[in-house]
This record gives sequence, structure tokens and C-alpha cells, in this order.
Amino acid sequence: MTTAAIEFQQVTKVYRQRLRGVEVSALTNASFSVGPGEVCAFLGPNGAGKTTSINLLMGFFFADFGEIRVMGYPPGDVRAKAQIGFLPENFAFYKYLNAERLLRFHYALAGGKPSSAAPLIADLLAKVKLTEYSRLKIGKYSRGMVQRVGLAQALLKDPQLLVLDEPTSGLDPSGRKDVRELIAGLKAAGKSIFLSSHLLSEVEQVCDRVIIISKGRVVQIGRMEALLGNSDQVEIVVTALPEELHARVTGWGGSVTAGEHGTSVMIDFGHKREFAEAIWAAGHDVVRIAPLRGSLEELYLKTVGNESGVA
Amino acid sequence: MKLWTLATSTLESFLHNRLMLVLLLVGIGMVLLMMIPLLGMKATITGQNKAAVESMVLQAISEVVSLMSGLGSLLAAWAATDSLVSELKAGTVLAVMARPVKRWEFLLGKYIGVMLLMAGYAAMMICVSYLLAWLGGQHIHANPLLLFAYPLVRYAIYAGMAMLLATWFGSVMSVVCVMGIAIVNTIVQPGSEDWKPKLMWLKTALYYVLPSTNLLSEERFLSLRQAALKPTTWLEHGTSLLYGLDYALVFLLLAMWSFSGRSLRRD
Repeated sequence: MTTAAIEFQQVTKVYRQRLRGVEVSALTNASFSVGPGEVCAFLGPNGAGKTTSINLLMGFFFADFGEIRVMGYPPGDVRAKAQIGFLPENFAFYKYLNAERLLRFHYALAGGKPSSAAPLIADLLAKVKLTEYSRLKIGKYSRGMVQRVGLAQALLKDPQLLVLDEPTSGLDPSGRKDVRELIAGLKAAGKSIFLSSHLLSEVEQVCDRVIIISKGRVVQIGRMEALLGNSDQVEIVVTALPEELHARVTGWGGSVTAGEHGTSVMIDFGHKREFAEAIWAAGHDVVRIAPLRGSLEELYLKTVGNESGVA
Repeated sequence: MKLWTLATSTLESFLHNRLMLVLLLVGIGMVLLMMIPLLGMKATITGQNKAAVESMVLQAISEVVSLMSGLGSLLAAWAATDSLVSELKAGTVLAVMARPVKRWEFLLGKYIGVMLLMAGYAAMMICVSYLLAWLGGQHIHANPLLLFAYPLVRYAIYAGMAMLLATWFGSVMSVVCVMGIAIVNTIVQPGSEDWKPKLMWLKTALYYVLPSTNLLSEERFLSLRQAALKPTTWLEHGTSLLYGLDYALVFLLLAMWSFSGRSLRRD
């Protein structure tokens, strides 16, 4: 049996302010897992418990109840951490270092030999397009450049699991595209990726699985295609649409769009056969019938509603 | 290797700390200012007032050295606190602790970094002591190694204490607590003003619990007034230093234990 990269079982975390007697439940009985080689999106509104979950799995915080395993080890175990590349939300750094020295520092902490660091660091800096700024102090970097350094440090020592908290934050569209391609490359290399992001369109393009969390509870979990393919609508493209059928589609609550290669009709799944038969009976033809795929954004909004901080 | 990486990075962060540089400049400025009357007094030595002026010169030297030593304790407490609190506050600790570094390794690396800084400070203090003694026409006969080791052990205790407090409180609170403990420590030493009979038990208890600053003071064997070495055996030095190191170790272990159980939340 292969070991899950991340496993949460009935995990609960409560923040307590003992002096004020305040208790805030950040995570309640959260259970999910991320398989090896899987790219998993971790979504939810602000304050839903995403960063708490990441802090728990990295061993920065301690769970009140439940069990967490990361690469088969308890969180914080150095054997697990040796296999993790981590990019925190708002990556903080020593401002007086330049990118090259920061990566050298992290490489040494990861147990790397200083003699073998130079080519790897040069390669990583090229990958995140920072080669020409490698000698500039990070304190002088823009937000996007800092994020790129953060990504480079997460990729040091070829980690098996990448935990990325808002990796595209602060990046311009081209930077976001680079990150997307980077993630696709890592996915192809068989790495497990746990990705927290508010950019749903980005997530939709790269992730295999989705976990949606709201108010500290896991509210939706599943494979991307299964979740997004669950739409109860179907798109039927026909060569022509007679007036009488147009009226019938409108009556069913469907929509009609005229296109270059025919007319596209969107109707409920239940009316599919009736509509197709009516088209054929009218002497026209059906070009294509395809179930309508929902977007991740639709799924997300349907799941968490209109909570504040929606992606 | 990891410890050394953490220690050198801690030291480097101190050297890039503006507050630290300002404190250092202020310290150097104060020493230079205190040297002006010293040199003035020395210039007024004549056959008749030689003994009296020399006594004043030596008094001034003693005060400069005491001041530097006291500032060193404050610096050790502040540096130890800042090394931990600033990492937690800025969030840099997260990327570091995501590496295969154990929590105790992180804390020990920071502690070693603080001690490297304090070793530099102690070395500077010895140089100033020799310079002042030379200006005062005296010679320090004590072994420089001891002059280096005694303050360093004191600083190790203060740094350990501050680090332990920093695992619970913010930086200001931790430094204030350490200073409070240092003051209490001074007033419970033998020879200090007697307490009310009702509170003598407290004084005795605190004396035994807190590290003895008298025992860990280089003044035990070094007297600038006579600039001579008081007869103290190496065994006695070893025992005193071990006594101090024992305190430092206990504080450090307590700090490691406390840090291993706290969350790394941005404070």
C-alpha cells in the first residue's frame, strides 16, 4: 500500500485566549488525504482554516484532536520535512541576503553540501527567472520577485511533496503562467502538490483533486472532473433551429446561442432526447451533444455560498 | 553544520540590525567620553598628588569596566530575546522550520549565534580594559583567558534566561524580566543591605536559586586597584565557571523544552 502524502483524520484545532476566555474553533473534525503524485487544491474563504491546516501539517501548530501524517510521519518530524518543499503565505526572508545566499542558507539547512549547491542554485534561479537579480538584496525585490525566490527555495533538494500557500500571490499574469507551467512540470515528475489558492481558474487548470473547506469543516472533496462534470445541463449544437423549437427551448428555461458552425442550445439533461428527436423530425441535424462542464468558481460559490472573502 | 548555519545567520542578522549598531556606537562614544577626564587627570599628576590622582584614575577605569560589563549583560539578554522574537514576528521562522531542522536545533543555533556576538563583545571589553589600564599607568596581570571566560559565562546565563522568557513573552517583557531578575540577584548577594528579618528566608531562597553574580565576577580575582592577581587556583576558576555554565545550561534546556511545545504563530 502506498503511503499518502498528507493524511488528516478527524483533526480539530481550537485557538484559545485563556486570559480573555475566548475560544475560536479553526478546524473541526477535518479529514482528507492527498495521494502520492496528486495535485490537490485546497480552497476556502478567508478564515476558513486553510492556513491553520497548513501550519498543522508542517508541524508549526499542534492539533487538539485527531491525527495527521505527512509522508507517513507525524508533522514536524525531520524525516517528513526532508521530503517537503514549503512556500508559506507571505514568504518572509532575511532582507540583507541576496537570492543566491538565501538559497545557499536553505540548502545548508536542508542538509546539502555547500560544494554541490552552486549549480543547483543557478538552475533554480534560472527556472524562476531571477538569474540577473541573484546578487541583489531581497529587501529591494518587488512582491512578485520575492514570491519567485520563495518558490525557488521550496524546490531546493528535489522535494516529493510541495505545500504551496498562495504561490501566485503578487505575480503578474506572465508570472502566474510560469507557476502554472512549473506545477504542471512537477506533476509530470510525479510530485505531490498541496496547493492553497484563491485563483480558481489557475487551480482548475492544474489540479487533479479539490478540497473545499468552510468555517473549519471540509465541505466538498473529490476529483476535479467528477465535481465539475456534475452539471445537470447539456449543450446540443444543431445545424438549424426552427422557430417553434426555439420557443420550446425558452419555455424549458434553456438558452440559445447562434454560432458560425450551427446553433448551440443549452437545456436540462431531461429534455435532451425530446429535443434531439424534434430536430431530426424537422429535417435538421445534431452536430454535437456534450454534458455541460461547470467551472470551479461555480462549484466553489455553490459550496461555500457568499461568505466573506470569497475567492 | 545546521547549527553553525543557524548560528552564523543569527550573528549576521545582528550585524545588520540598526538598533544594535546604534547601541554599539553609543557604547563606544560613552567609553571615549569617559576616557577624556581620565586622560585629563593623568596629565595633572605631580610628585605630590600622584597617589591621589592615580586612585581617581583607577576608580574611573573600574567604573568604565563595570559599565561595559553591565551593558554586556543587557546586550546578551536583548540579543537572545530578539534572535527569537524577531523571527517569530517576521515569520522567517516558518521557512526555516520547514527545513529538516529540529526545534531544539533551531534554538541552540540561535543561542550559539548570540554567544558568538557576546564573545566579540567580551573580547572588545578586554581590549578596552587593557587600554584603560595602560592609560592609567597600570598593568593587568590576570590571565586574559579568564577575563574572557568569566563575563562570557555571565552572558551565557543572561542569554539563556532571556531565551526562556522569549518563548513565553514578547521582547520588551523578556528583557525587562531579565533585568528585574538581575536587580533582585544583586540585592540578595551577601554584603548587600540586610532585609527585614521576616523576609530573610526569601533573600536566602533567592540567593540559592539565582546565579551568584559575586562568584561569577572577575573582580573576585582581578583587582584593578592593585592591578594584581588575587590568589585563585585553576580548580576554583573551573568550579566557578562550571557553576555558571550549569545555570546557563538549565535555562537553555528549559527554553528548548518550552519552545518545542509552542506554536510558531506570528506574535
